[in-house]
Amino acid sequence: MIITKLEFLDRAQIDRDTLEVWIQEEWLVPSGSATEPVFSEADLARADLIRDLIHDLGVNAEGVGPILSLLDQLHGLRRVLAEVLQSMRQRSVPPEAGRSMGRDPERS
Amino acid sequence: MKDPYEVLGVARTASPEDVQKAYRRLAKKLHPDLNPGNRESEERFKEVSGANDLLSDPDKRKRFDNGEIDASGTERQQQRYYKDYAAEAAAGHPYENRSGYADFVDTDDIFAELLRRQEQQARRAPGPDLHYRLSIEFLDAVNGAAKRLTLPDGGTLDVTIPPGIQEGQILRLRGKGAPSKGEGNAGDALVELSIVPHRFFSRQGDDIHIELPVTLAEAALGGRIKVPTPTGPVLLTVPKGSNTGSTLRLKGKGVPRRGGHGDEFVKLKVMLPTEPNPELEAFLSNWTPGADYDPRRDMQL
Repeated sequence: MIITKLEFLDRAQIDRDTLEVWIQEEWLVPSGSATEPVFSEADLARADLIRDLIHDLGVNAEGVGPILSLLDQLHGLRRVLAEVLQSMRQRSVPPEAGRSMGRDPERS
Repeated sequence: MKDPYEVLGVARTASPEDVQKAYRRLAKKLHPDLNPGNRESEERFKEVSGANDLLSDPDKRKRFDNGEIDASGTERQQQRYYKDYAAEAAAGHPYENRSGYADFVDTDDIFAELLRRQEQQARRAPGPDLHYRLSIEFLDAVNGAAKRLTLPDGGTLDVTIPPGIQEGQILRLRGKGAPSKGEGNAGDALVELSIVPHRFFSRQGDDIHIELPVTLAEAALGGRIKVPTPTGPVLLTVPKGSNTGSTLRLKGKGVPRRGGHGDEFVKLKVMLPTEPNPELEAFLSNWTPGADYDPRRDMQL
């Protein structure tokens, strides 16, 4: 579902200026246009994370960017790892090979 | 439920600053977004944040110390963390960054081969979807229409609105989203429709409702009158002796739906002449409607 700027400010519990800064810093990358940005649930969860970093964890403004960047890389790597694991699983038991290997000893 | 002081590892006499310090120390370690994939830390963070919610609020803390409330129900509601979205988002997520393994790819073993293949797949991933909003006229929503949306970058997007569309419905235009970062197809454009209310039509499901002003004579004597419908005016027979509130149905003049149309309901509203009318006044003062005519009878005045 699409979240408008007003809705986003309300649900993320941040003010306009804060949002401007977060977008400028590219901590948040909404879709839509600069004048009428639209947000996703993922953007909202990310805003919650930024708020937690600043308020709950005491991270200062300079620290948020590097943390997000490392997290984005971490998520990228987690996904690559998941994909690699999956294709390795598929490789190690190719369906045809598995069947013929099971049959051959019986036949011979 | 564990004792919140124990959870945060502070003394009962701890100052608010101590509580905050203890919470921060634990949150830095346990925040679920800093530990994606670690269920245990997520569970512990729930306890810790719950304990902090209780002890960082002076009023709640006092009531807890006095035994008025216990620590149950302090666990934070199941919050959705960013990591959950990062994990489930389709490839091409705007934030995801895969540069962290580029240096592994240049070798010549099976892992490098797999990674190269993943990279290729990522390159072929479709571009992200773009979201737009379009507000359309009531009648366009009912009858369908072709609209051209002007995009912020100056481009245009042709949107075919199917008949019978509803408020908030989203149209997906394949391939009209942002281009792929690599060689994949473009994403989709998602257009959320909002419908501008009409001056006199309103809609309930597939039925159209309209309040139609009629003259005293049309109501009392009946007759055929022109009524607007979404597809143009039609003639409606008003039966003799109709009244304000009488509702007539125009079958099949409502909103198109699968296998037909809804209906239009016409609710009559008798209107006296807006200017004082001496003839009508003269007639009414000489007119005796009969003892049965008492519209306020039910009110027992």
